[in-house]
Amino acid sequence: MVVFAILPFLQLSDPAPSVYRHRDFSRSLVCIRVDPTRGSQLRPGQIRPVSPRGDDGNRSTLVCSQKVLREGLRAPVDEAVLSSLEDRAQHMALRVSSLDPQLRERAWLVETFYDHPQVTDKITFATQNALMAQGLSVSDRAPSLGPGDVEVLTRLSPEEAYPAACERFHATGSLGDADALLAVVRLDRRSTELHAGLCVDGQWRWLP
Amino acid sequence: MLLAAPACVRVYHPLRGLADPVVVDTTRPNLDDARISVHCIPGGMLSVGQANQLCRKVQTLFENQGAEVSTVTDAYRRPDDPFAAPDAAGDDDDDPGDEEDEEDDRRTELTLEIRAEQVHRDDHALSWVAWTLTATLAPGVTERTFAQEVTVRDPDGFLLATRTLEGRTVRRSGAGVWLGNKLADWWWREDDDKLTAENMDRDLSHDLYGHMSQLVFDAKLKQQVLERDVVRRR
Repeated sequence: MVVFAILPFLQLSDPAPSVYRHRDFSRSLVCIRVDPTRGSQLRPGQIRPVSPRGDDGNRSTLVCSQKVLREGLRAPVDEAVLSSLEDRAQHMALRVSSLDPQLRERAWLVETFYDHPQVTDKITFATQNALMAQGLSVSDRAPSLGPGDVEVLTRLSPEEAYPAACERFHATGSLGDADALLAVVRLDRRSTELHAGLCVDGQWRWLP
Repeated sequence: MLLAAPACVRVYHPLRGLADPVVVDTTRPNLDDARISVHCIPGGMLSVGQANQLCRKVQTLFENQGAEVSTVTDAYRRPDDPFAAPDAAGDDDDDPGDEEDEEDDRRTELTLEIRAEQVHRDDHALSWVAWTLTATLAPGVTERTFAQEVTVRDPDGFLLATRTLEGRTVRRSGAGVWLGNKLADWWWREDDDKLTAENMDRDLSHDLYGHMSQLVFDAKLKQQVLERDVVRRR
């Protein structure tokens, strides 16, 4: 009887909650269901690719991995942003590279506006990498403004502040005619979205 | 054997999307400046009745966050949809309802489409052979993986946000599994960790509605930023 009672839980490879697998442990895994082709790319040697003669049945596999950091070590918003940062950065870079071809010749500066300094650096770095992967030239330089400008800008609402800062960057020469700025902004504390803004020749616009 | 047949334990396991963190607090008025048309599209895992039920729950979810919500359970707007585009002739009327209309105009209009499909099902045939041979003491296992496709668009159909939320449910049937689970529940599991149907439904709803709220909030913010940008550049 005891053996039979234990039997259901002997599916050792199943990551779903069970007697010996705590609910929190199951939630700490990142799992995706993949077809054999994708599975054999992710786990070569462990997952058999589709045979050249085809497979019998519709085979799919659940591939799981541990999260990089244990649950609770990072703020939920940082976790949400960083866990998909590569995709977000690539998406932004793709948008930028599909703009006016003349902009491709410019030096691209990246400025991130985010609450957490370490995450800010990671976002900036990922975005710069993604821009370079699109063949754009990227500069490490950060545009700067005088104390007077900063004092005025901090009194404005975000809708007014970013365009005004862009104008000032251009007017002061901090952002030259050969430069373009990609600003990555988190606009609301409740949001996990990173918005991309573009500053070119003193003109500001948000990218869709 | 017939008596033990209904005894089972169902568990929920979040996969892609559903396991991600949510920041927005669904008890706060996050959407008080939004008007949302929720389209629950039958097909896949959703019958018309289930689509209606889902739409009603999502309507309550967003209304609790301050949004004005209408629901549609087919792929197209019904003629009596209160948020269908008004006739051009009616726009010039100068009636007392205009103030209310102006307030409505300030709301960000969004369309949310929800589709659900089963992406995988496995009946673990050998487990059911064992289930039969052992008079339900060994478990019969059935698992399903589902995907909810959630898409948010602006009134012009521009795609603001989309996300696929995947999860799986595992159903282990039989007297052995039922007894083993009951013993574990009684012996060492905390109330929140008990593998009961109520806890499974609670976890699934929490994940699903949390992510829908987050997606709609992010989409609303994006729409507002883009709208203001267009107005500013005119």
